[in-house]
Amino acid sequence: MLAVMLREFRLFLRRPALAGLALVLPLMLLLIMIGIFRAGIPTGMAMVVVDLDRSDLSRSITRMLDATPEIVVREQALSLSAARALIVQGAVRGAVYLPQGLERDVLRGARPEIVTFYDNQHMSAGSMVARGARNAIDTALAGLRLSIRQGQGEASVQALVRIQPIPLQAHALFNPAFDYVHFLLAALVPTVLQIIAAAATAYAISLDFGLGRHPRVLARMAGGLLPAMLGKILPYTLIFLTILAVSDLVLYGWLGVPLRGSFLLMATGAVLFILSVQLIGALAFVMTRDMGRAASLIAIVTAPAFGFMGLGFPREAMSQLAQGWGALIPGTWYVQLRIDQSLRATPLDISVWSVVWLAILALVLGLAVLARLKGLRDTAMASS
Amino acid sequence: MKAVLASFRAEWRGMFADPQVRLILLLSLVIYALIYPLPYRAEVLRDVPVVLVDLDRSTSSAELARRVDASEAVALTEDAPDMVVATRLVQARKAYGVMVIPEGFERALLRGNQSPVALYGDASYFLMYQRVMQGAGVPLRQMGAEVEIGRLIGQGTAPEVALAQVSPVSQVEVPLFNPVAGYATYVLPAAFVLILQQTMLMGLALVATRRGPSDMHPIWRLIGRMLAWTIAYAGILPVYLIVLPWVYGLPHLGETASVLFLGLPFVLATGLLAQIVAAIFRRGEVVQVVLLAVGLPFFFLSGFAWPVEAIPPGLNLVAQVIPSTPAIDALVRVTQMGASLADLQSGLWHLWGLTACFACIALLTERPRRF
Repeated sequence: MLAVMLREFRLFLRRPALAGLALVLPLMLLLIMIGIFRAGIPTGMAMVVVDLDRSDLSRSITRMLDATPEIVVREQALSLSAARALIVQGAVRGAVYLPQGLERDVLRGARPEIVTFYDNQHMSAGSMVARGARNAIDTALAGLRLSIRQGQGEASVQALVRIQPIPLQAHALFNPAFDYVHFLLAALVPTVLQIIAAAATAYAISLDFGLGRHPRVLARMAGGLLPAMLGKILPYTLIFLTILAVSDLVLYGWLGVPLRGSFLLMATGAVLFILSVQLIGALAFVMTRDMGRAASLIAIVTAPAFGFMGLGFPREAMSQLAQGWGALIPGTWYVQLRIDQSLRATPLDISVWSVVWLAILALVLGLAVLARLKGLRDTAMASS
Repeated sequence: MKAVLASFRAEWRGMFADPQVRLILLLSLVIYALIYPLPYRAEVLRDVPVVLVDLDRSTSSAELARRVDASEAVALTEDAPDMVVATRLVQARKAYGVMVIPEGFERALLRGNQSPVALYGDASYFLMYQRVMQGAGVPLRQMGAEVEIGRLIGQGTAPEVALAQVSPVSQVEVPLFNPVAGYATYVLPAAFVLILQQTMLMGLALVATRRGPSDMHPIWRLIGRMLAWTIAYAGILPVYLIVLPWVYGLPHLGETASVLFLGLPFVLATGLLAQIVAAIFRRGEVVQVVLLAVGLPFFFLSGFAWPVEAIPPGLNLVAQVIPSTPAIDALVRVTQMGASLADLQSGLWHLWGLTACFACIALLTERPRRF
């Protein structure tokens, strides 16, 4: 088996395509992904104000909007239809409508309406803009309510208590800085790696086990099918684990994503994750014995995998079918383990199940690959 | 003209006679159309489970709990005696938030003091956190306003005046497009464009790697191929971007003609890019692996799911070279937001610009090897 492994490493250095796929490609993509999310929460998203009042109050609301980090007040629109056109074109992400007579109606107690329109097709940006605008307007109005109460002779501290009888203390559990950006990145890295590890393993195997090749030479060299297969796969396990380790150094070291759980559990999970993903690639290849069709199979399993992990739309809210399909993909469990052990500091007795699932997946996939290889060898022997 | 026709026929055969390419261009489109939308069918999160830690056990705290439970976004599914038990329930993913009503809640309210309530949302899931804050936040603010109005009326203020004083304006939020904040409506129109691009890139690049030498002039060859892509995708693209979203019940506002006008340069730019990809990587297996791996990064680079405002300028510049970046933005604005071509001039020119640039590069890669 060691002989096969050493041969594989030599092969790796000699073949630029292999080294490119297993090393250069993942490192480049990881750099790009880190680049995309490095800046963190988006700031400076454009909004437009339709100010038909042009009063002190409307100006103070506009100022407050502009002071919100998420928002930049780009320009003024003269009408709602002009504002809507700007949103449709993509020039701005939302609009705040301040009606004529706003200040006068507020002082008369007539409760005028302030309307915030936002582009909810681009939901992530839209909801951030809407929340920013809501808070800015609330702050501007709280100032107004305070000054009314103080005008009635209440002390400012007392007035502050009075305008908010049930204050809501919002806490972000597990993630106090609400740094979900880097956390998203921590989940995207294994997703991309999952695609590459499966495909590159299938490619490496295709070089020895493809049609017209002679796997028997390799099997004789290693002294059996199992060692031959392991010798073929394990060098890449080491390479991908190293890549994962480097990206984790960036994430948990440089970007400062918290790592609150058990390092040992994370590491075990990582090894099982890479192994089972590689076995998906191996199985796809030995099933089809054709790299093209194997790549299509791998694509169908790994390309849509991100959606099934439940980072955007949570797994628990999915249909049974979607949950079941997601459970068959190693990345689902590994990403869950990473979230559990990095952010949530989940107790081991809960979190260990992700690792157990990964082990089961790796075992079943490994047995399937072996069974298929045995079948292939037997038919080859019978025919010769 | 004959040369163009010959090249057209060769490309068409390459696309639909080769079983592996046919698998990528047609069958995988069908399979992806079934698998990709699967996680998002539920559209909206309802009744996100939240743990209640009621340390006050009073009439007021029970009333508050009832109101929060009645909201559409969350449901109080579990009771816990303290924060430790509650946190464990969240860690086990049995709940995604905790509402703590502290001891003395009712007494503080009756005395006219502030009576805070703590709300913990699971911030490792952005969407869950949002729903928990929304679901519990709205009834909390409402109850607070009622308390304040009650106190003002008690002090002798007229009811209308009290209402105006507590909330001097009414804030209305109107989500334009995707009004129910459906997740499928949000993500699928963009995902379909990307799937179309990736399968097209992969299939057409494979055709290119398998092509034998030819003695035709490269310009005629390229024109013949572009003709083949245009005719094939005149059928495929509308099915994927108009019929498929309709099958999934997604809203469709724009005009079909606008989709086609944008689709033409999108298909041409993608096909030409496939020629370049094939020239760079040469071998079919390598092309497939590379294109498979870049799909997800392309999606996030497009500035759709992750706002372009947060992408570093240098990287954003690189993203503009990928056809999906302008195509996703423009096509989503047409189909989901009803934009007209006049609204999308920049996206349209962007795609034609890519087509022109890629055509020049593709011509350069054609020349040395086959002449």
